[in-house]
Formats: sequence, C-alpha cells, structure tokens
Amino acid sequence: MRFWDLLRMSSSSLWKRKVRTVLTVLGVVIGTASIVVMISLGLGLNRSTMEQMESYGSLTTIEVNEGSGSSMSFAGGGMAIMTTASSGDEDVKRLDDELVEALKQIPHVKMVSPTLRTSVIIKSGVYEGQVSVTGMEPEYMQSLGIEVGQGELPVGKNDLEFFYGNQVLMDFYNSKTQRYPYYETGELPDIDLMNSPLFVIFDTNAYWSSQSSGEEGIDGVTPQPPKKYMIKTSGIAAGGPEEWNQHSYSVYCDIEQLKTTLKRIFKNKAIPGQPTTKVGKPYKEIFYNQILVDVDDIDYVAEVQTQINNMGYQTYSNAEWVESTQQQYSNIQAMLGGIGAVALLVAAIGITNTMMMSIYERTKEIGVMKVLGCDMRNIQSLFLIEAAYIGLIGGLIGIGVSYGISAIINRAVHASGNEMNLSYIPGWLVIAAIIFAILIGMIAGYFPSRRAMKLSPLAAIRNE
Amino acid sequence: MSETGQVVISVKDLYKIYRVGDTKVRALNGVDFSIYKGEFCAIVGTSGSGKSTLLNMLAGLEKPTKGQIVIAGEHMEQKTENQLVKFRREHIGFIFQSFNLMGTMDAVENVALPLTFQGIKKAERMKKASQVLDLVGLKKYKHHRPSQMSGGQQQRVGVARALVVNPEIIFADEPTGNLDSNTSKEVMELMQKIVREQKQTLVMVTHDNHLASFADRIFHIIDGKIVQIEDNRKNREGEEKNKENSEEKKKEEITEINKKEAGE
Repeated sequence: MRFWDLLRMSSSSLWKRKVRTVLTVLGVVIGTASIVVMISLGLGLNRSTMEQMESYGSLTTIEVNEGSGSSMSFAGGGMAIMTTASSGDEDVKRLDDELVEALKQIPHVKMVSPTLRTSVIIKSGVYEGQVSVTGMEPEYMQSLGIEVGQGELPVGKNDLEFFYGNQVLMDFYNSKTQRYPYYETGELPDIDLMNSPLFVIFDTNAYWSSQSSGEEGIDGVTPQPPKKYMIKTSGIAAGGPEEWNQHSYSVYCDIEQLKTTLKRIFKNKAIPGQPTTKVGKPYKEIFYNQILVDVDDIDYVAEVQTQINNMGYQTYSNAEWVESTQQQYSNIQAMLGGIGAVALLVAAIGITNTMMMSIYERTKEIGVMKVLGCDMRNIQSLFLIEAAYIGLIGGLIGIGVSYGISAIINRAVHASGNEMNLSYIPGWLVIAAIIFAILIGMIAGYFPSRRAMKLSPLAAIRNE
Repeated sequence: MSETGQVVISVKDLYKIYRVGDTKVRALNGVDFSIYKGEFCAIVGTSGSGKSTLLNMLAGLEKPTKGQIVIAGEHMEQKTENQLVKFRREHIGFIFQSFNLMGTMDAVENVALPLTFQGIKKAERMKKASQVLDLVGLKKYKHHRPSQMSGGQQQRVGVARALVVNPEIIFADEPTGNLDSNTSKEVMELMQKIVREQKQTLVMVTHDNHLASFADRIFHIIDGKIVQIEDNRKNREGEEKNKENSEEKKKEEITEINKKEAGE
C-alpha cells in the first residue's frame, strides 16, 4: 500500500469514531501539557538564574594566572618543596606576549586580554591613597560595560590616563593625621578627581623607605623620595559612594601605555610586583598579572580551560560553578517532567485501551482486509499510524494549552511584582514534546497493532 | 469449457482434522478434484459437511492437515501467512455472504480497495473500479455508501470488488445467503454472466441446491467427502431452446428490478 493511502485510511477510521478519538486525544493533551508546563517551569527558573549569574561576571571568561612548571610540588607546602620551588624559579610559567599569542590560537577563543596590575600611591593635597592600577587593552575595557559618570574611558589617548571607579576615594587618607575621612565621617575626601592635579608615585618601595627614614631623621643621608608624576584623569565611573559594582574600587588604564610608562620610570630597576631572577635582577620584559580569555560559547569553556591548564598555567572560570548549578536545575527539571510524565503515561494506557477496543470492534473489517490481500505489515501500520495520529493531535493541542497555561503563570508572577518569566517554552521543547507524544502514541499502539496483524482472516467469513 | 481446459485448481488427498477435546473431528476426509479455467463450480453440502472448511483452505485462510492444493501452479499448503496474503492480493477474488463492504467508503472506493492494497495510484484504481461497477450494472450508484444501497446492490459491489483485480479465481461464500430469493437469482445470474463473458473461474459454496443449479459443475460434499460431481452443462444442453427464451425473459425481469431499485 502507498503511504499516503495508509494515512488516509487511518485518519478516516479515527474520524468515524469521533467521540472516542476526542476523549483519547484529550488524555494526550493533558499529558503533553503537564509535561511541557512542568519542564517550562524548570527552564524558566534555570534561565533566570543564568541571567543572574551573568550579572556577576561573564560566564565565558577564563582567568589565566601564572603557574609553575611543576605546580603539583606546591601542594605539600613543606621546606623541601619550598627550595625546589625557588630553585626552579626559571620554570615558572610567566604570562607574556608569547602566551597571549598562543592563547589566541586556541579554537573557540574569542578575545585574549592581558591585565597588568601595579600598586601606586596617589597624592592630592593632604590626601593620599594607595590604589591598584589595572592596565588592560582598550577593546576589553570597552567590553566590560562600565557606566561612565564623567569624562570617558582611557581609550585612544596619547599619554597614560587613569579612569577611576566611583569608590576609589574611600581609600584615601589624610597624610598628616593618618585618618580615613570616609570611614570616620562618612564623607569622601574633598578631591576633584577630574580637575585637581593628581600626583602618582610608581616606586612605592622607595617612597615608603624615604618616609620612614625621614621620620627617624638620624642619618644625614636620607634616601631620595621617588619622582612624582602627574597623570591625567580620563573619567570616573557613574554612581555614588554607596553604589557598589565590580569596578567601583578599580583604577583602569591602557595596558600598553602603562607598560611603556613603567619601563621609562624604572629603567633597569626592579618594578614592584614584578618577578626577579634568582640573583634579584629584573627581567627585561614586563609580565602580566593575569590574562582573561573569552570563549565564544559557554559549552567550550571547560575544554579551553583544560587546554590552558595543560600548558602549565593556573586557570579559573565560573564554568564549574555554572555547571553544578545547571546540573541541579536539570535534576529539578527531570523531577518536574517526571510528574508530568505520569499524566502522559495514563494517556498512553488510554490510547492502548482505545486501540484494543477498536480492534475488537473491527475484527471483521481487519479479516476482510486480510482476505482481500492487505499486507500484514500494512495492517499493523494502519493501527500504528492511528495511534500516532492520536499522539500528534494530542501533542499539538497540548502545546497550545501549554502556551496558554505558561502565559497565565507568567502573568501571575508579574502581577506579584516579579520581573522574571517563571515559565519558558523554547522551540526545541515544542518539537521534542510533539515527537514525544507521537512516540508515546506509537508505543501505546504497538501491542494492539500486532494483535490486529495477527487476527485470523477467518473472522471475516464468520457470520454472526 | 471442456474437461481438457487449463487446470486452475487441483486438490489432492486433502484432510482437515480438528481436535475437539480428546476427539478428532474430520472436517475434510480425503478430497480430490480439479477445477478448470472458465468454470462456474458450486460446492454444495449441509452445514457441518466441511464445505466452508474446503473453501477456507482453497483461499488460504486455513492450513490443511494433510494434502495438496495447487492454484495457478502454486502450492498453497507450503506458503507462509505473508505469502498467502500476497497470493490472495494478486490472484484471488472473494465474495462474502454478508458483503463486508467498508462502511466509510462509497461503492467505487470499496471496489478499488484491493487495488489500494496492491499499491496502485488513486486515479488509476478509481478508473478501473468505475469500469467494473459499470459492468455489474451499478453506474448510478458509484458514490453511494453501503448503507444507502439495497442488499442486492451491495452484493453487486462485492462482486465488482472480487473482479477488479482480474483474478485467476473467484471464491464466493454463500454469496446470496443474506438476500431474498428474487435478488438471489439476480446476483446468481450476474455471476453466471461474468464467468461467461469475462472468462473468469468461480467457486461458490452454498447449501442451496437450487442456487447450485446456476453452476456448470456441482460438487456434493457430505461429512468431509465429495460424494458426487454433477455436470450441469449436460442437463442444460437438452433444454437449450427453452432456455434461450427464458433467458430473454430473465433479462427483462432483471432490468425491471433494476428500475425498481433505482426508483427506491
């Protein structure tokens, strides 16, 4: 028989028994809708959690830190291990430009952004503060989504300029009284970061030693206080002192300009925070403190991370955390789906029952078809297709009902003042649910269809 | 229609033994016969004589306990159920006592059903079914459902359905069992006509000796054995002239009945 004829015959025999078909379909509708709605709740929950997690920081970013070639040896923390660590100083895997290039070659890596941190002292009037300056590539800085309050990001400037977080001033103290105005009075030091001159001391070690010897005042030879540099402010992040975000305490600048500035200031001296050779000599290069690697898709984060780990670097990403959270949510989803599945199971039993009844009723018809030479497989297909139809129609209507219920749930959640969509039905769920409903129908119809196939053609001859 | 014609069915030493509890019931107890192409044969017997069992086995609906059935050169007793279904699909037409038309289909669709099983395209099978319906005199009833037709018309559809696959052989199981005597006669004459004009071979099972007299040869079966084979053609030859006249009359009658039914 042609497939089209099979479809037509099946649908016409379903149509013949409308009431029963409708009732059986109703079972599938309820089953499908309950599964879809349950899973949609799990998905909605998962999605809103993911959105929340993304607000904490990118989920596709891997932090790369320097690692020792033999990272395992640090685990014990004993004396012997310390010596091997120091003697193997040359083995330490530094973060350099070569690595940046290598990381860019890894598949799925979208962006590689080295950061260079250095601690500086900023003086303005009587106030001074020790802040950490982070140099990064302009492209990366722009991708951070920093809200600029005044000025602009230090991008495309000729000289080194700093961009201040909105809470940096909290750490400034009065150099005379050694008091922090913000923590004692709740008011920020009276400094106009944009306009008043800010003096920056890069060689903090020299500064501290000059300070302490100055106080002692015994030797005639006081160490020279280090040179101060005036660094312009390019901008300040938006927000008052009470509004925290992850950039609030940071000072940002262009990494290349920071590197050249540091090289110019320190020449051949050791830069604080930078590693030195065994004999205490500085390296020619400036090493990065951290490299951030952006991966194009969250699914590849773990893969890329292991690859970098295997290169001998230490890495950290949110992926593991996200993974375990997602695992948790998929468990919840499976549980909710399971509850819905019970309804579909009942519907499946309903389909089997309907099909069995139909076959008993149509014993004679099936017999006639066999006598007239209808292939056994075709007979089985006819009943399987009928059951599949019930599944398909039930699945389609069930999806419609699910959308309705989902809309009602979300409206109720919104009405209670919550922004999130508790119920979320993605496209794949729709397709999966329909396929699942058809499959359930066919499984439920399999046993009856075999029975129909095996019916004796003699039933057609019998005359009741 | 001579004895030297092509053999369509040959049955040798056929037994069917049912086991009812501890006792064995011999439904068929050694049956031998042959049926030739273009013959109209009737198997006559009382109920329980084994005539239906014989027909079922000829059509491959039941397996014989012992013996041979060869139809169109193929051994029926050696076939699996699937092969039997295929064989019926291609070589056998079947007319039922209770018509067994599909209630959801109209006359043409019912007639086309065996062609559907053969996987023939819709347009083609509808055309063929339509032609066969013309042949059985149901031109005006092509798109009537079985429930909208009289018993006689329904059985004509049944005959058309058996004929549509152009089978080697047609089996009829008490084809007039559910019809009144007038309509019965009509249907019998239709079958007679088809055997003659379409050169079909037809095997009919009946308990009615009068209906059997429409056949060319009559097999009398009692207790699972064929006790007598009667050649009806010889009887007829004597009354050739009378018959021709009466045939004329019959035709008139048929057309009258058709008109009546059409008017209903």
